[in-house]
Amino acid sequence: MRLLQVSLRSSLIFSLLLVVVSIPVSLFSISALFNEEVDESMELHTQQFLKHIKSYANLDDLETDLEVLDQLSYDIDIKPSSNQMVSRAFRTTEIYDSVEHELRSYRELSNGVDIKGRHYVLTVRMALVDNKELILTIGLVQSFLIILLAAGLLLLNRRISKRLWKPFYKTLNQLKAYQLDRNEAIETDKTNITEFDDLNTTVRMLTDRNRKVFLDQKEFIENASHELQTPIAIFQSKLDLMMQNPSMSESEAGMISELEMTAQRMSRLNKNLLLLSKIDNDQFSTKEIIDVTWITKEILYDIKSMADVEAISISHDILPVEIMANRTLIEVLITNLLNNAVRHNVNNGFIRLSLNEGRLTIVNSGPKVQMPPEKMFARFSKESANTSSSGLGLAIVKRVCDSCGYKLNYRYEESHIFTVVF
Amino acid sequence: MKILIIEDEKELVNSMAQFLRQESYVCEIAYSEREANEKIMLFDYDCILLDINLPDGNGLKVLEKLKNSNKTDGVIIITARNSVDDRVKGLNMGADDYLSKPFHLTELSARVSAVIRRKRFDGNNALVFNEITIDLLGKVVKVKDTTVDLTRREYDLLIFLVANKNRVVSKNAIAEHVSGDNAELLDKFDFLYSHMKNLKKKLAEAGSDDYIKTVYGLGYKFST
Repeated sequence: MRLLQVSLRSSLIFSLLLVVVSIPVSLFSISALFNEEVDESMELHTQQFLKHIKSYANLDDLETDLEVLDQLSYDIDIKPSSNQMVSRAFRTTEIYDSVEHELRSYRELSNGVDIKGRHYVLTVRMALVDNKELILTIGLVQSFLIILLAAGLLLLNRRISKRLWKPFYKTLNQLKAYQLDRNEAIETDKTNITEFDDLNTTVRMLTDRNRKVFLDQKEFIENASHELQTPIAIFQSKLDLMMQNPSMSESEAGMISELEMTAQRMSRLNKNLLLLSKIDNDQFSTKEIIDVTWITKEILYDIKSMADVEAISISHDILPVEIMANRTLIEVLITNLLNNAVRHNVNNGFIRLSLNEGRLTIVNSGPKVQMPPEKMFARFSKESANTSSSGLGLAIVKRVCDSCGYKLNYRYEESHIFTVVF
Repeated sequence: MKILIIEDEKELVNSMAQFLRQESYVCEIAYSEREANEKIMLFDYDCILLDINLPDGNGLKVLEKLKNSNKTDGVIIITARNSVDDRVKGLNMGADDYLSKPFHLTELSARVSAVIRRKRFDGNNALVFNEITIDLLGKVVKVKDTTVDLTRREYDLLIFLVANKNRVVSKNAIAEHVSGDNAELLDKFDFLYSHMKNLKKKLAEAGSDDYIKTVYGLGYKFST
């Protein structure tokens, strides 16, 4: 759920609750206020009535008049009472309305009065607002309010919030697309919101620092490999000199041979590391139209004698292909793939190479590997105890494909199948 | 024949000089750009081995100075930075060859003799070794008057061995020499046996003596 929706939901729920609670509260307060007004008004009526009746006290047939008044006036009842003292009392009653055919609420005030020495009960009556109608009206008004509120909030949320959060989403999208090995820093706009500016500054600092560490590390690998070349060269040269000693025994020769193999391995490993870091550092960027067919045939020629040692047969189906690419990278790519096919093969195995427009496929026999295919292309991931394998060959293949934008596929169907789509 | 080694790694210089002296080259050494500049101005050399990374400057400047003063010394650039740019730049500036560290001394020696040969004989050259004659331009090998039909690999192999005659050439050095920079499958250099066997057979059939000897498990030696 998005942050905007969460805040919107909370404010919506709160306003809804508020409106719902406000319905009974307003209902009670309005009717209480109204009753109070009605009571006051009835008391006034009673006083006025008594005041006026006093001025008619000299009339002889006042008794009859009062009876007529009682009959004619709907709001006022005045009835003779036998009771000496009727106390003052308010009450709410319901009287049948013959026009509307329903019961209506009334408020009544009864007082015991003495007129010309006779006891009367004076009742003043006023109609009350219909409770049902009141509820209905208030409910209607409040519902309208709720709709207005919700619509307003939603609209505000859409309009203002979207604009408000725009810098945040921009930064977020940039972070999503950010790749350490690409050459671009994160660009942020200045917003007037402190939090976003803070966020942007932090993000920029973080990515810049990561990038610096990454570049330093890349440079370190390249420098370390370079620095190692000279000591290995010295080591190698001393071995070459020792080899020339004519009085060497056979066991000494064996030892020197083993040392030389080791030196060779170090040198190979180092050269491959250097190659990897050079690919990473985009040092093979010059492109030209190259004849892949010719390169492939040359490499096949080179590799044939190695394959012959283990009686691996090589068959190929090569069509003329020319692509725009870096020559060194293409040579490295094909050489490493073929080396891999020879190295991880079996005696009397086979290699089948097919090259056609936009696609190079190399199939070789060999036992199934246990590690997952994606691990095969990681640096130094070796499965066999084949110590002379540097564990960098396929990593180099992967890096070349990545940097050239080629698609590299591997699958195992009784044999290893590598496909490069140019 | 005089060789100047311009290289700041003393241990490496010692090995190179010792190895080349055995081939009866006269070796002089410069450890810095300053020393190198002095020496190239004062003397002429048949071949200069030039390290690009010097403590007080870039070896390419030495090369520039050499070419500006119209000297014709052969130059082989040696560098730890095996970069295409350096190679192209060096060769464009007039260097004759390029060797990246680490290298085999036998490879170095073969390159040096190739450069000297080219300079000396102006390209019109043949290697003669007793009854074997190698025409380096036409890439034709003859024993007495019989032409030996060699494959590219066998020819490369023969040249490399002859350039290092009377020396032990390791299998590694040969493998690297004949399969270039991509000799990744070095544990499979049993492949050398068959090439070597074929080469020996072809030479013997053409009437040559057996000069190519196997040295323990180390490698081969073209010995007189």
